[in-house]
Amino acid sequence: MAEESILTDDFLRELINVGEVDILIGVPTYNDAETVGQVLQALRAGLLQYFPRLRAVIINADGGSKDATQDLVRAASISDLQHGSDLRALRTLHCISTQYPGGASKGTALHTILAAADLLRATGCAIISADSANFQPEWVESLLRPVCHDNFDLVTPVYRRHKFDGLLVRNLLYPMTRAIYSRRIREPYPAEFAFSGRLAGYFLGQDIWSQDVGRAGAEFYLTISTIAGGFRLAQSFLGTRPHSERAAPDLVPAMRMTAGVLFWSMEQNFSAWSASMGSQPVPTIGPEHEISLEPLRVSRKRLHQMFVRGVAELAPVLKTILSAQTLSELEQAAAVPEEEFCYSNESWVRTVYEFAAAYHKTVISRDHIVQALVPLYRGRAHTFLVENRDASADEVESNIETLCLTFERMKPNLLGMWDGGK
Amino acid sequence: MALPQDGLWYKDAVIYQVHVRAFHDSNGDGIGDFLGLAQKLDYVQDLGVTALWLMPFFPSPLRDDGYDISDYQSVHPHYGTLDEFKLFLNAAHERGIRVIIEMVLNHTSDQHPWFQESRSSPSNPRRGWYVWSDTDTRYRGARIIFIDTELSNWAWDPVSKAYYWHRFFSHQPDLNYDNPAVREEMWNMMKFWLDMGIDGFRLDAVPYLVERDGTNCENLPETHAVIKDYRARIDQQFPGRMLLAEANQWPADLRPYFGDGDEFQMAFHFPLMPRMFMGLKLEDRKPITEILQQTPAIPENCQWCLFLRNHDELTLEMVTDMERDYMYDEYAHDKSMRLNLGIRRRLAPLLDNDRRRIELMNGMLMSLPGTPIIYYGDEIGMGDNVKLGDRNGVRTPMQWNGGWNGGFSVADPESLYSPLLLNPVYGFQAVNVQSQKRFEHSLFSWTKHLINVRKSMPVFGRGSIEFLYPANHRVLAYVRQSGKDSILVVNNLSSSAQAVELDLRRYKGNILIEMFGRNIFPRVGDLPYLLTMGPYQFYWFRLRKI
Amino acid sequence: MWDTIVGELIQATRDTWHNVLHFLPRLMGMLVVVLLGWLLAYILKSILRSILRLARFDRLSEHWGATELLNKAALPSSSELLSRFVFWIAWLGFILVGVRALEIVGLQEPIAKFFGFLPRLFAALFVFFFGLLAASFFSRAALLAAVNADLPSPRLVSSVIRTLIIIFALSVGFEELGLGEHTVLVAFAIVFGALMLGLALAFGLGGRDLARQYLERRFVRGHKEEKEDELSPL
Repeated sequence: MAEESILTDDFLRELINVGEVDILIGVPTYNDAETVGQVLQALRAGLLQYFPRLRAVIINADGGSKDATQDLVRAASISDLQHGSDLRALRTLHCISTQYPGGASKGTALHTILAAADLLRATGCAIISADSANFQPEWVESLLRPVCHDNFDLVTPVYRRHKFDGLLVRNLLYPMTRAIYSRRIREPYPAEFAFSGRLAGYFLGQDIWSQDVGRAGAEFYLTISTIAGGFRLAQSFLGTRPHSERAAPDLVPAMRMTAGVLFWSMEQNFSAWSASMGSQPVPTIGPEHEISLEPLRVSRKRLHQMFVRGVAELAPVLKTILSAQTLSELEQAAAVPEEEFCYSNESWVRTVYEFAAAYHKTVISRDHIVQALVPLYRGRAHTFLVENRDASADEVESNIETLCLTFERMKPNLLGMWDGGK
Repeated sequence: MALPQDGLWYKDAVIYQVHVRAFHDSNGDGIGDFLGLAQKLDYVQDLGVTALWLMPFFPSPLRDDGYDISDYQSVHPHYGTLDEFKLFLNAAHERGIRVIIEMVLNHTSDQHPWFQESRSSPSNPRRGWYVWSDTDTRYRGARIIFIDTELSNWAWDPVSKAYYWHRFFSHQPDLNYDNPAVREEMWNMMKFWLDMGIDGFRLDAVPYLVERDGTNCENLPETHAVIKDYRARIDQQFPGRMLLAEANQWPADLRPYFGDGDEFQMAFHFPLMPRMFMGLKLEDRKPITEILQQTPAIPENCQWCLFLRNHDELTLEMVTDMERDYMYDEYAHDKSMRLNLGIRRRLAPLLDNDRRRIELMNGMLMSLPGTPIIYYGDEIGMGDNVKLGDRNGVRTPMQWNGGWNGGFSVADPESLYSPLLLNPVYGFQAVNVQSQKRFEHSLFSWTKHLINVRKSMPVFGRGSIEFLYPANHRVLAYVRQSGKDSILVVNNLSSSAQAVELDLRRYKGNILIEMFGRNIFPRVGDLPYLLTMGPYQFYWFRLRKI
Repeated sequence: MWDTIVGELIQATRDTWHNVLHFLPRLMGMLVVVLLGWLLAYILKSILRSILRLARFDRLSEHWGATELLNKAALPSSSELLSRFVFWIAWLGFILVGVRALEIVGLQEPIAKFFGFLPRLFAALFVFFFGLLAASFFSRAALLAAVNADLPSPRLVSSVIRTLIIIFALSVGFEELGLGEHTVLVAFAIVFGALMLGLALAFGLGGRDLARQYLERRFVRGHKEEKEDELSPL
């Protein structure tokens, strides 16, 4: 079957002209003209300041932006062409832009960047999100130094985040990845990260690009592959996570990219996670967690409502997924008024694990299983918000830690459900 | 006897820089001399160079390799007599080789009779010939040039109990150019040699002639006025003789030295040279193109002088701190190779004795706009001796053959002015003229061929330059043009093979003729012109439309 | 007279015996064919079952949700079902060939007709089956989507979609079978049309204001109403 290459002829020609590089920074974009300019400036400044002697290239993988994104990227190169000389730079810095086929997709963007990194034999690579409005030049160093100098294969970021930011990560992604794959990675689904050329080549060779995970959730699967493949992993503290101006992503696709990919990965890497218990810390540069506490108005009521409706309306679906005991627990919780509502840690962990097992057995269509988790997650989010409403940073951290330990403790249950009955 | 004065001969010249002391010894005292140099003029002519630039040969205590002059109108006894010099000069002219000598205007040796008189008493008539002061606080704005040896630009003279000004070594007091007597006498010195028939002067250390408080004492308008005056007199009395400025300055600051074509005819392009080495290591043309982009246009009758190495250290004054650190780390990791903000190594050792890189650098030297200078010994790939002090490591005897003292002198090896190079790689038995002349593939033969090709087209010396900026930044490409002649030069600065697409639409329809083999390359069409190049390879193409 | 009767009887008996004798070999032939057919069909079924098992057909059908449906209907697994189905088809074929060998004139045409009808029967069965599958899948998808998008009455939407798909499948199936095709089709068209008209009226009349608001927001840049801080889940 003749596949259309993700590398267009023009892009390939540009790659030939760039030649071998030491550092490759990928910036996936889609209509990011507002913020991409600042990000590129920060990247340039970071490269000039911290890696002035290394050959570097910035590659923009664009999904078909209708605004001036691609032009802005091209204007950011440092070369000896017309627009004035940049004497502060020893070397030419290329900024090239390509539009990958198939419409905007983070997975395809990553695929393109990995292919470029492989062809250009880059030793240190990074992916930087184009809407990080407050990206600092120092972050380039924080992410790339461990890869370039200390031989790590993947460096995920650690941010200072508001205690209510990233609820899905805090309640599901971080604790479950930690329990399943035994590594305490705070941001398993990073928006920006650095990786080695070795890992790029390895991940490029994985057979995921024609599947769903190859289009959305590939970054998360990269983290999992790193662990499963025995590569060296580290995390590096950057700074405050920028609050994106854009609307928050819809929960259903978010759940697909996270829980869906996680469940799917468990099947692919069974031997990697089934034998390990507990979790080990990951080498961390800088503080491991920082929580900011500005007051934030959140709509909790709606979360609770959607949980209740979800449990009620999706009963036939949930019956096929959850055990009778768990389902009745949820129904009881749904019956209670909002002020007393609580989705306990144990309950949540049991729910998630039963979903994982159901996914593995494909009791119904797998995508439907993932979708059914969404209203239940809303309930959990509600409980988290209530629990931590007046909590200090340390208290929040300790609550999360408790949740993580619950996930770890109940992992044998998951294993029991995996091949046996419910 | 002087050569016919074709007004712009220096634009077409290929200059060979030679130290009389180091070239060839005729009388067995271990020091090269003029008769010896005359004996080797056939070699010089064979190489193909058209002009000789001689390092200072005046009487001198030799504490700065001859740049500390104690008599401007004679020849140091080590090198022979004035008559022997004249003999050599005529012999050179007979072979069509012009001769450029040094004229150190800025300072003399403290052994010069003028200084001896000047210091003897404050009332001496020559007192005002040097710059005296009771304090050492004037001219604070001036930097120290020999930072490795000097702590101040003022030196205390115990004889006259006063400070005297010196921009260089303390034994080289600066002459006072505010004094008209000084200016006249120096003209007389120059006239002495011009009368004899020499073709040009390299004026050493020109920026520092005049000093003023509140300035950095470099490139002052008064300095320019002095030179313009000299030039006017030369044009009147000795038309066609050339003045070459040694001024280690940024291109924009160098421009004034050309005046309106009424000051220096030539000046060294100092900032370009380290950037050529940098571009080679970075495998990126950016340092080279940027400095040339910033180089201002100069009057029609003026010319830049290009060089790869010379008798001094490879100066890193005209680069940023970051660039200097890079150059140190890449080219002079051993700190003993560093001197005075520079690197004291010869061309071949700097390039790891890599034949391809040596060829590429020479190719660029011969094709970039300007008059090229070859430092003696670099045409056979001579090495250096960093264990010798100061910059003497690059001033070792010329290696003529594998025999006694490398053919330099019949004296005992211990009597030589400098030890020979003996190691297996660069020693005189490995690297010498005689063995290289026998083979067509030797560096000498290649350099000779290169000079030949360059001389075949006046475009190189006289033409304009237009850079092409192919997307592959490892390739430096430009077109030299003069009248109807166009030459495309493409250089691969990378150690690996490269493919490059050149936008030659302006030259559509031209056939490319490679100048060394004279083979025809495809004609330029509408599409970008694709060239594939081996590591460090370069092409010179003549563009012909038939 | 008695002689004639006896003689006729004897003649008739003899004729019948003759016919029987003539028929017997054909009967034997048919039985042989049938037996052979059974053997071949059984072999075919076994082979197919092995192939399906190797090709993990059960997995695939699980993915489509077919297994779920079969389990509900207390039917065996898909690969088993398929193998048995093939077995019966093959054997039936052989039986009919055998019957043909009997050369019972009256039976030839009906048999031929039956054979002609068979493909349409299978097609209809397929349509019903896949219709059920689709109904179950899409109704569940609609349910999940409605719940997650916070739309009103998700169960209702889900059931409506299930019913519509089933009815559609049924009508296509019946059309295939040639049973009251037009009637069912028209009935379906009426129901569907009425539903659509009802929805249009409801939305059109009731949603007038909403539509206006939406259009205003889209095309007239008014000032953004203050909304609560959005949280990013990721």
